[in-house]
This record gives sequence, C-alpha cells and structure tokens, in this order.
Amino acid sequence: MDAVQFLQNLLNGISIGSVYAIFALGYTLVFSILGIINFAHGAVFTLGAYLTYSLAVGQFGIGGILADLQIPFQLSFPLSLLIGAILSGVAGVVVERCAFRPLRFRGADPLLALVSSLGVALVTVNVIQYLVGSEIYSFPSDVYGDIRPAFVLHFGEKLVVIRTVQIIIFAVSIVVLALLGYLISWTRIGKALRAVAENASTASLLGINVDRFILYTFFLSGFLGGMAGSLVGTSFGIAGPYFGVAYGLKGLAVIVMGGLGSIPGAVLGGMVIGLAEAFVPADYSAYKEAVAFAFLFVVLLVRPQGLLGRSQIQKV
Amino acid sequence: MEEFLQNYGFLLVTLVQQSLLAMSLYFPLSAGQLSLASPGFYALGGYVAAIMATADYFAPWRDALGWAIFPLEWLIAGLVSALLAFLVGVPALRLRGIYLALATIAFVEILRVVCLNLAITGGAIGIFGIPQLFESRWGYIWIFGPLLVITLIFSYRLDRSRVGRAFKAIREDELAAGAMGINPTHYKVLSFVIGAVLAGIVGAMSAPFLNTWNARQGTFDASISYLAYVLIGGGRSLWGPMLGAVLLASLPELLRPLKDARLIINGMVLVIASIYLPFGIAGALQRLKLSTLKRYASLRGGR
Amino acid sequence: MSVILEAHRLSRSFGGLRAVNAVSFAVEEGEIFGLIGPNGAGKTTLFNLMTGLTPVSSGTFTFRGTQLTGLPPHRIAGLGIGRTFQNIRLFKGLSALENVKISQHTRTVTGLFGGIIGSKTSRLEEIAVEEKGWEILKLVGLADRATEIAANFSYGEQRRLEIARALALDPKVLLLDEPAAGMNAAEKQSLTAFIREVRDLYNLTVVLIEHHVPLVMGLCDRIAVLNFGELIAVGSPEEVQKNPAVIEAYLGAE
Repeated sequence: MDAVQFLQNLLNGISIGSVYAIFALGYTLVFSILGIINFAHGAVFTLGAYLTYSLAVGQFGIGGILADLQIPFQLSFPLSLLIGAILSGVAGVVVERCAFRPLRFRGADPLLALVSSLGVALVTVNVIQYLVGSEIYSFPSDVYGDIRPAFVLHFGEKLVVIRTVQIIIFAVSIVVLALLGYLISWTRIGKALRAVAENASTASLLGINVDRFILYTFFLSGFLGGMAGSLVGTSFGIAGPYFGVAYGLKGLAVIVMGGLGSIPGAVLGGMVIGLAEAFVPADYSAYKEAVAFAFLFVVLLVRPQGLLGRSQIQKV
Repeated sequence: MEEFLQNYGFLLVTLVQQSLLAMSLYFPLSAGQLSLASPGFYALGGYVAAIMATADYFAPWRDALGWAIFPLEWLIAGLVSALLAFLVGVPALRLRGIYLALATIAFVEILRVVCLNLAITGGAIGIFGIPQLFESRWGYIWIFGPLLVITLIFSYRLDRSRVGRAFKAIREDELAAGAMGINPTHYKVLSFVIGAVLAGIVGAMSAPFLNTWNARQGTFDASISYLAYVLIGGGRSLWGPMLGAVLLASLPELLRPLKDARLIINGMVLVIASIYLPFGIAGALQRLKLSTLKRYASLRGGR
Repeated sequence: MSVILEAHRLSRSFGGLRAVNAVSFAVEEGEIFGLIGPNGAGKTTLFNLMTGLTPVSSGTFTFRGTQLTGLPPHRIAGLGIGRTFQNIRLFKGLSALENVKISQHTRTVTGLFGGIIGSKTSRLEEIAVEEKGWEILKLVGLADRATEIAANFSYGEQRRLEIARALALDPKVLLLDEPAAGMNAAEKQSLTAFIREVRDLYNLTVVLIEHHVPLVMGLCDRIAVLNFGELIAVGSPEEVQKNPAVIEAYLGAE
C-alpha cells in the first residue's frame, strides 16, 4: 500500500467510523442506564433512513401498499435529516414503552428484554416492508442541493477521491457528537442521566424521576440511531428493510470494543472498526463483514471490559 | 392421512427440528451460560454433511458405505462441533452474561462470513442437490423424532445426576459453586459442548432434509429465535424449550393466510409473550399447579 | 495437637488500600478459632484469600503443609476446606436437599455418561449422596423441609442450611463468616452448642468470623484480632480481652 492509497483508506475509514460512533452511542446510552442491549436499535436505524428518505425524496416504487406514493412535499436534506432523527427518537421512546418498561415493572428476567426488543424490531422492519416493499432506495445525487459530488486530490499520477457525502457524514457526526458531549457533561439533564446510570435507586432517592430519564435516554438513542441510518442511507442507499440488521450487529462490536456503557469508548470503537474495515485489502474485501466480529471476539477474550471500560470487581 | 402428511409433514418435522435446536441452547443455559452459538454449530454440521454427501473426494466413501454414510455424517458433524466448541468455549466461557452472548454472536457471524467465501462451502450459492435419505419430507421424522426422544431422556437423566447438579449450582451462583468444590470452567465448557454437538448433529440431519445448504442457515436471527423458544417456553423446565419451539415455529404457518403481515404478528407475539409469560409457559403452568394445590390444601385445612 | 492451617505474611491490596497486611497465624487441629475486629478490618478478605476467591498479593497459606495460595477455589474446597458466606450465598432456587447434594461433588466421581446411562457406580453414589444429604439436614434440623427451595427459608434457617451445605463437603476445616448475624439471643445460644456439636461429631477445625463478642469469647479456644488489615493480637479469650491494643482498636473505632 502506498501513501496515497493509505490516505484514501484513512479518509474512508474516518467517515464511516464516525457514523458507527454515533450509531453505537445509541446502544451504549441505553446500556449504561439499563444494563441491557436494545436489539431494536438496528430497526430504528432502518426506520430513520426510510423516514429521511420519505421527507427528502418522497417517492416509493413498485412493492408494498404505499407503491407509487408521491408525498406532496419535499423538504431540504438537512431539515429531513433532523426531522427524521427526531421521529426516530420518538420511535425509540415507543420501543421503551413496548419492550422494556412492562418487563421492568414486572421485575422480569433481563434476558427477556433481548427477546421483546427483537420482537419490536421484527414488527418495525416488517411494517416497513409491508408499506414500501423491499426494493433498494437510493437518494438522488442532487439531494444536498447544487454541490459537486466529489473532491479529487491529485498526487502526481494518483488520485484521492473524497465524496461529498463522506464529508457531510463526517461533519454531521462530529456536530452530533459535540452536542451530545455538551449535553451529557454540562447540562442538568446530562448530570441527572449520569446519576441514573451510576445508580438508579440512589438517583431516585435524590428525587430524580428515573423513568422519565429512561425515556430521555431512549429518545436520544433513537435520535442517534435514526441519524446514523439516514447518513448511511445517503451514502450507500437503503438496501431494503433489513439493511439495519448488519449495522445493528456491527454496532454491538463497536460498543464492546470501546467498553460497554462508555461514551468515549463508543466513539473510539467506531473509529477503530471503521478504519479497520477501510484498510482491508481489496483482495479480501469479501471478509470485510467479519472484521468487526473478529475484533469483537479478540477484545472480549483479551480485555472484556473493552478499551475504555471499567473493570468490575465482583463483590463476595 | 396421506394427504395430511403431504401437506403438513414438512411442518411437523420442522417443529421437531426446531425443538432440538431450542434444546441445544437450553443445555448451556442450564449451567447459567447464555450462548447464542447454536446456529453456528448447526450451520457447521450441515456443511459437514453436505460436503460429505456431494464432494467428489467423498465419492468412494459413499459408494462403499451406501446409506451408512448418513450416520457417519452425523458422527463427524458432532465431533467437529465438539472440537470447535471446546476451542471457542475455553476462552469465551470466562465471560459472563451478555458478554458471552456477544462473543457467541461474533463467532456465528465470523463463521457465516467465512462460509460465504470459501470454495468448499459453495460460496454465496451454497451447496445444493444434497442426496436424500428418505423419499418424502415426512420420512425425516424417523431421524429427528428419535433424536428428540434421546435428547429429552438425556436431559431428564442429566437433571438428576452429579453433572446436572453441578450445572444447576453454577447457574444459581458460580462463585458459591466453586467454593463447594465444583470446577466452573470445566462444567461450563461441558454444557457448551453438549449444546454444540446437538446443534451440529441437527445440522447434519437437516442438510438432506432441506436439500440445499448455504450461509443463511446460521444467522443472528436464528440465534434469537432459539433464545425466544427457550425463554417463552420456559428455560427452567425440561419441556419448556420444546413447548416454545413448537408454538413459535408453527406460528408463521398458522398465520400464513395473513401473508405479509404474519411476520408483524410474529414480532408482536414475542413482545407480548415476554411481558405476560416472564417464566415461560412451563413456568406459568407450574405456578398454576402450585396455586391449585395450595387452594386444595387450604380447603382440606392443611398448611 | 498439630498445626492444620498456617498463614505466613498473607497480604492483599485493592488499588492503594491494604485490606490484609502481612498477616501470620497458625490454627491448631480441632480448635475453634475466632477472627474478630472492627468493620472493614479485613476479616472477610482474609477468608476469601484462604479459600482462593480473591488472589493473594503476597505471602503464603498452607493446609497441613500443602500450599494453597494460587489454587482455584474448587481445588481448595476439594482438599477439605468448607465455608459459609457473610451475605448468604445458597443456591436459592434449588431445594435444601439439592443444596446439600451439590456440595458432595468432590466426594463423588460419576461422569456425564455414567450419570446418563445409570452405571452401577453412579446408582450407588446417588443412593449414598441422598442418604448423606438427609443425614445432614436432620443434623441441622431442616429435614422436614428438605424439598422446599432455599429462598423460602427464614434468615436463621438459611444460615443453618449454609452450614449444612459446607458440612456436606466433608471438610476438615470449616470457615464460618458471621454465622450468628441476624440471630436473636436464644438462636445464638443454640448456635454455640451446635458448632461445638458438629466440631466433635466430624472432628473439625472451625475458624469463624463474628461480631458478637460474648459469643466469640464463650465459644472460641483462641482468637485473632484484626484491625486495619493487620493482626494485632492472637491468644486465648482472656489474653485477648486484656490486650491494650485490642481495647484501643475497639474503643477507638466506636
């Protein structure tokens, strides 16, 4: 690999890694509060992509009951992205209400939340399929307005191509990360969230309404998931209602890599996995899908608490 | 009868097969280990059988052994699964709870991508035209049925033996089990290997049953389906996994008239069952029995 | 009398905190040895070091001359050291009988297939395990509730069941972590008699952690006092009671 190829891979890796990071943050926020993995997160990712697509493009094709639907408005991409993510946040709240809260109130085995959240995911994905079919939807290239599709850097004979989408993805991800960091570190809501994550029963003794903060967390989680889905969708197209599943699994690898429940860990994990995938040689690109899981497996065996996680001392 | 089997034979065999896969997840769970690796071993076993049944290399074996190649396939699938389970299990079973579940998901995914890309596993297309053991789909009940009976007897006997008690002790409290002289690593790996061998054999039997074998046989979705069977059937009872598998696996078939909506209903059933049957169907029945007994006892003036 | 347990400069630190610091003592065969000290003195940590649940930072611990440091808990249990836990750790979802059957693990050998096919050894073992289980439950007075799950038992009964479970291990040494915690005066009285009884019946050596000073003074042959992870006194109850360092540790701590 020469330096130019290296630069190209680096840029590709950072761009996709930043999306992995915001997606994985959605997982990690929920895990830090409830200590459980929300298997519906991948479905919210899918939902976000479809919502943004509906708002920004608004036409669906041949399959499903909404076939040939033409939504009578078209919003600009940034607005669609924002509204799509907010609606995904609402979907996150619905997930909490359906799949987590009833189990929590009944004191059920936490493992059941894996099944119930997957049930919600199954419903979501199949409702999408029912409505719009399983075709691939690609965002049109002019969705961002009248800007050039790519930047080309010349290095003598060689080229480094940066797609505009990649820059947008990276920029949006960084803004979202910065806002989330501000929210968690500096605001009252963030402080309360951290208190709930640290110890929910103590937090409730201090007068924090734990259930409300669990809802906020699911809203944030859904918002991040939907945003990530939309960004991936604009870059690679929406490959049918099941396209979130693969990302959902990869997101698990990302959060374990960084340390379950650790926010900086999710960002670092996202970057590491994004870069690792970008540097898979072209000859082995078929194995790219396994990279995240190979990392996941190795990290679990070598350092189960992840790169930035705290190790837990078991109390006897 | 003939017509009934024609229509429902495949479904009935599938229910037995899914019950077996649920049992493969139940064994590690009976030692407190949440392993989602079953689909990986299932896929592996299927590939072993499919390769032995179709590859040119094995042609002389097939000619020499005749039908006996099938039991040999099951044996080898079981052995390969046991070996791989041991290699994966020894490091992975140091992990607890959700971490182990994630490691096993990673194992399944890695195996899937590898099988998708190797020439010997037929790449993305997979292996097709696998020779049949029986003339009809229904015929496969004669291998899956006995395997289920053996597995249930195995599980029943295990529950009442020294090794089964060690499993239960680890499930209840791993640390206390260690302090009572039980080697947790040993028995955790053993429970994992038992589940893997079962899944591997079921895979090897399923390859001819399904006629084709590809990387879609071992996926994350399947992992969660099996987990749902066990939890919704009842993870603490011998009959629970089977009960859950029969109900949930027949659901898509029962809902077939609903066409596309059936997967939506299927998802809803998972949610509703998780909420209203937290101890599974077997657990709910057990409670019902206990409360009825209590009422009976109180009527008679007992304690 | 000969030495059965010997700790030599046993130490353990968590981060910067020295929970147990260079503790040395020897326990004689057949005695009832008390371990007392204010809260946070490192008593339970010492038990965990002795049973392999917590790895030692430095120092050694031997049982009849066999080095135990570095061995995993199940091996230490297998050599004949049984214990109870301060915050009861029974197999709560299982019956009392199953609890005492489980800890006969190291005294039996039936493997996976022997148990499944019901080999002769396994059947004989099962009968013996069952009998011994009942015998021990009778001893602790829980035989009439043998098939009830442990979680349904009262606090005092759970403590007794935990001792029963440790006894089923057929130990040479019994480590009891606050066996009288949460018991009323009458229960404490009968516990004292009970501990003596099992010691005599099974030729045990007993090491116990206890807060209730009169119980320790009345029961133990010798007592070791820990304070801030260090051993400040060892001796007979009378000697320890008069020791100025002990008096200061207790008065200063309260």
